[in-house]
Amino acid sequence: MRKRALGAALVLVTSVAQAQSPETLGWLRKMHQATQRLSYVGTFVYQNADRTETSRITRYAAEDIEKLEVMNGVPREIVRTRDKIRCYLPDSRVVKVDRRVDRDFPGLLPEQIAALARHYDISLGETQRIAGLDCQTVVLQPKDDLRYGYRLYADVKSGMLMRADTVDAAGKNVETLMFTQFAPGNVTADMVRPRHEGKKWRIEDTGAVPAYLAGWGLASELPGFHKVTELKRRLGESRPVGQMVFSDGLAAVSVFIEPLESRPDRAATGLASMGAINIYTREVANHMITVVGEAPAVSVQRIADAVEFRRPTQ
Amino acid sequence: MKDRISVLMDGELDDRSAAQVIDALAAGNEAGSEARDSWRTYHLISDALAKSRVLSEGFSERVAAALAAEPTVLAPRRLGGAREPRRWVALAAGVAAVSLVGWLGFAPQQPTVQVAKAPAPVVPKEAKPALVALPSGTNDYLLAHQAFSPRMSLVGMAPYVRTVSEPAREARR
Repeated sequence: MRKRALGAALVLVTSVAQAQSPETLGWLRKMHQATQRLSYVGTFVYQNADRTETSRITRYAAEDIEKLEVMNGVPREIVRTRDKIRCYLPDSRVVKVDRRVDRDFPGLLPEQIAALARHYDISLGETQRIAGLDCQTVVLQPKDDLRYGYRLYADVKSGMLMRADTVDAAGKNVETLMFTQFAPGNVTADMVRPRHEGKKWRIEDTGAVPAYLAGWGLASELPGFHKVTELKRRLGESRPVGQMVFSDGLAAVSVFIEPLESRPDRAATGLASMGAINIYTREVANHMITVVGEAPAVSVQRIADAVEFRRPTQ
Repeated sequence: MKDRISVLMDGELDDRSAAQVIDALAAGNEAGSEARDSWRTYHLISDALAKSRVLSEGFSERVAAALAAEPTVLAPRRLGGAREPRRWVALAAGVAAVSLVGWLGFAPQQPTVQVAKAPAPVVPKEAKPALVALPSGTNDYLLAHQAFSPRMSLVGMAPYVRTVSEPAREARR
């Protein structure tokens, strides 16, 4: 029975190969696996039109723990374990704790990579040298203007993503994440421990739990973006918010819904941006709607404009 | 479950049980992931025993992708199509109690019904939105949003750097 199943699977692999470039999708899978599998210490630079920031990422694959430290100024840190994300902010002596309700969230499963071809033309570019490593370029060109394009550079040997450019419709880089130094292996559990004990710090637990936000929804979905989850959490010290997440498989947009009365101030209606992130704020039914996503302004605004509340019938 | 996976591999499971085990293997949850780990481990063991060549790197992912793309051949609609809705059905059931609290927290107050019933204002696509400063607490929004970006599984946690980036923090003050 196994042999037959294998035979059938091989036939399938071949037929898929004819439909899309298996080599290209293979590269995306290789990146995905490297991100999960490798332990490493790397220095990387985040750059958008307004600023450049240098950080260090340490990953301890055996326990699936990752630490990100900001290198300049106040040593802010984020430690991500299997079930929690902790954000240490020494200047305000606050630890923000977010439970990972995304744990069952598939991220980009290998089988979903093939489905990306619905919204992006995926092709291989030239090889380039980054942080001393030869990297293969993979280009994801969006099929419409509702999503950004990406240029990904993966280490030929390990598959590790060394650089990721987010590109707008005009072909301009809106954001770059790039390793300037990368050392795989030799990571111990000690190295991913937070430097701050944070024992007497204020803890802001988001208390995120999956929830059904009755009555809230979009009048119409943005093409390709489907709702993947909705939950309830707290923001900052204790403001209750609802969150709905929409995704096309690669880009994600979150809709935050919070009662106006719990807001400390009244946010202005309009668009703000920070690198590849666009944020659109407006009021709907006595609630502040904040839409946050790594998608072009037009997409974030269209999702924000589609948010509506229909009183649930009881 | 591990026993049944093993029996399935030996081809000795009846159709119905086999279907159940295959469902379990296809599940997107932790149990599914564990089941798949067992499946891979057993095959490695069996391959090692048979001294057959170990499959090339990433083989199972390639097969999984192929199965997802053409679910009809090996398991009609079961591996691919039905999986996602099922996960959300399960999720919805699990949070029934929570949702009440959620609704209380988010339902607009009675006097606002008028507003609530009004259709969302339609902004013409060409209209240039007003540009505003980053909202207060931008970092909190980013932290909450980041975990759900599928891109994370390609780039690791690097995008989290945005959540501790200075300008956003200044906006919070």
